[in-house]
Amino acid sequence: MTSTSTVAPPGAAFPRVRRPRRSGPANRRHGSVVPYAFVAPAFLLLLAFGVLPILVAAVVSTTNMNISGLADSSNIRFIGAANYTRLVHDPEFWHALSNTGLFAVVGVPSILAASLAVALLLHRSDSRFARALRAFYFMPAITAIVAVALVWGYLYNSQFGLFNYLLSVVGISPVPWLSSPTVAKFSVALVAIWRATGLNIIIFLAALQGIPKEYLEAAAIDGANERQRTLRITIPLLRFAIFFVTITTVINWLQFFDEPYVLTQGGPVGATTSISLYIFQQGFRYNQFGFASAGSLVLFVIIAVVTLVQLRLRRRDVD
Amino acid sequence: MKRVLVRSVAAVAATVLVGVLAACSSGSSTAPATQGATTGATGADTGPLKVWVMGDVGPAFQKATADFTTQTGIGIQVDAIPWENVNDKLTTAVASGQGPDVVQVGLSLLPTFAAAGALKDLSSVIGNYPGLAPANFPDAVDPKNLGSDGKVLSLPWISDTRVLFYRSDILTAAGFSTPPTTWDQMEQVAKALKARGDGQYGYYIPLWDNTLPVQYAWQAGGDVVGADGKVNFDTPEFAAAVDHYLSFFADGSAPTASDWDQTQGFVSGATPMVVSGPYLAKAISQAAPELAGKWSVALSPKDKNGTSLFAGSNLGVWKTSTHVDAAMQLIDYLDKPATQTAWYKAQGELPTNLKALDELSKTGDAALAVYAKQLTEARTVPMVPGWDLIANEMATALTAIGTTGADRGTTLKAFYAKAAQISSNY
Repeated sequence: MTSTSTVAPPGAAFPRVRRPRRSGPANRRHGSVVPYAFVAPAFLLLLAFGVLPILVAAVVSTTNMNISGLADSSNIRFIGAANYTRLVHDPEFWHALSNTGLFAVVGVPSILAASLAVALLLHRSDSRFARALRAFYFMPAITAIVAVALVWGYLYNSQFGLFNYLLSVVGISPVPWLSSPTVAKFSVALVAIWRATGLNIIIFLAALQGIPKEYLEAAAIDGANERQRTLRITIPLLRFAIFFVTITTVINWLQFFDEPYVLTQGGPVGATTSISLYIFQQGFRYNQFGFASAGSLVLFVIIAVVTLVQLRLRRRDVD
Repeated sequence: MKRVLVRSVAAVAATVLVGVLAACSSGSSTAPATQGATTGATGADTGPLKVWVMGDVGPAFQKATADFTTQTGIGIQVDAIPWENVNDKLTTAVASGQGPDVVQVGLSLLPTFAAAGALKDLSSVIGNYPGLAPANFPDAVDPKNLGSDGKVLSLPWISDTRVLFYRSDILTAAGFSTPPTTWDQMEQVAKALKARGDGQYGYYIPLWDNTLPVQYAWQAGGDVVGADGKVNFDTPEFAAAVDHYLSFFADGSAPTASDWDQTQGFVSGATPMVVSGPYLAKAISQAAPELAGKWSVALSPKDKNGTSLFAGSNLGVWKTSTHVDAAMQLIDYLDKPATQTAWYKAQGELPTNLKALDELSKTGDAALAVYAKQLTEARTVPMVPGWDLIANEMATALTAIGTTGADRGTTLKAFYAKAAQISSNY
């Protein structure tokens, strides 16, 4: 059936189609404007809130912009790459960068594995209980971060926290959840992992429902056991969902901000300061807008590069 | 509950957005820095005045100034800004050039906003208001000590200081009938209290407290700002302050938990001593009214002297205000002894007017007398731009040495370099 349409031009085969063709040139001009008109609002928004701020940040990052510069523009000086050299020589910047790297290295596989595992389990049943569980797992994703952080802060608290109380009941000495620079990193990451799984479980569940049952049935008839079916059929067919979740999760970890901001303010001794939090503090706490802009531009480049590499890997995968 | 949370998140988001927009607009616009700052001496200036105050004091402020409005006919619009949004709000106002007429500025933010030129120089008009002469206020907030070369950019309003809070019941049980008055006694008492058992400490040092080490340096007879007006921590006095500070961590008499709750620790008795402000007294009375009589306040323990922190807020007139006359009348009114005493009674915020302080300290309230006395031996944070950042670097460095075992020599050296670099960036 496809061959007929390719062989004969539609106009010749079906005279009825002719009428629209008569207004050909006008239609074509129309056709060239309409798509742009549809795209324009989104494009303008992207331009105004995406591209323009980046350009402004790029310009600001070459100046000494701070609070005095805001008050009186004659105080603004062009200082070239000085902000960038200062950034490179700031140990706290590298500390924040390595924290972010660690968060991503630990966090991305954890979120991926946890949400995939939960989604596979939830997908096994469609009972009322399973549906209730789905809602339960989605809860963290829709709860306000401030509330989440407050509650976790109380759970972690070293004086009256529930976790240390439970540990003391079974005779384990208290853990400095948010006070030890090493433990605090994992405590903060755990909250973020817990929060992020909800949405990703839903994405995986949707993808799982898109896998035709026939494949699994055919494999079962051929004698494939459950493990083989999951590993050889389900997970390969989830490839695109996994790819999507990986990319968004990586970006989220690179922009990691909410949990340390509310839970620890980046402490103790900067152990949970992510690169976003570092930029925020330099910019909005200490009013060093030029310096912070340089930092945000560096972060932008890092995210762009990481995402491009992932896309490139994915393309090779498709080929 | 949920709605409150949603709203607070929305507020946070909005603040960030405003901040971002402010940063953006600053890049492209040439902010109208000064416009029409003239005040016609013709006729009475009846405002209305836009006033920004900090914290949850809007209605109280409106009430406190009702008399002023009836006397002078000057209307007042109050905006109460939550403390956590103050920096954003003021920065946005600087960026847009649209500020209030009268603004409350915390003394720790004052150097930044004074240096940014956000506040009007009042030196030419202050002579008309004898009630606002520096002699009426503590030396710490004398304009000449607020580092603005002869300018008067702000006037004192409310004060706050740091004193020693202690659990008299616990100290007595440990054999100390009076609170420690010197550094040595402080270390000794803290150590003895720590020995009460597991999970018990002597003295709580908030790890986020970025002024306590500076107070110690003052008490050791030094300063953290050199004669050239630049920050300098590399002094024997600051080294002595660091010794004192670290001693509490070295012998375990101070908890190392970064999420230690000051009020909870004091009420439970786990940390029966803490240096804090009058707000802690309020928090303790609310959290544990049954503890009344079992705790008290005392002057900061001394080394060479007992200098404490002078915190609080000043009032300034925004640079673009066109109602300087009315604004000055309002400030004059707010600084009158009667207004200041009434404000303390309504809000619990201490006066700066010496007469009002004196009057309050004679009311028989022992704590008030201690605050008033401590205020006479107190200093503001150094009035150098970027101080907030420097102070936080200091707190981080000392926390690293005290709680994570970082090397003292190298950590302090890195901090000295960082502090010098920060001041050169501002």
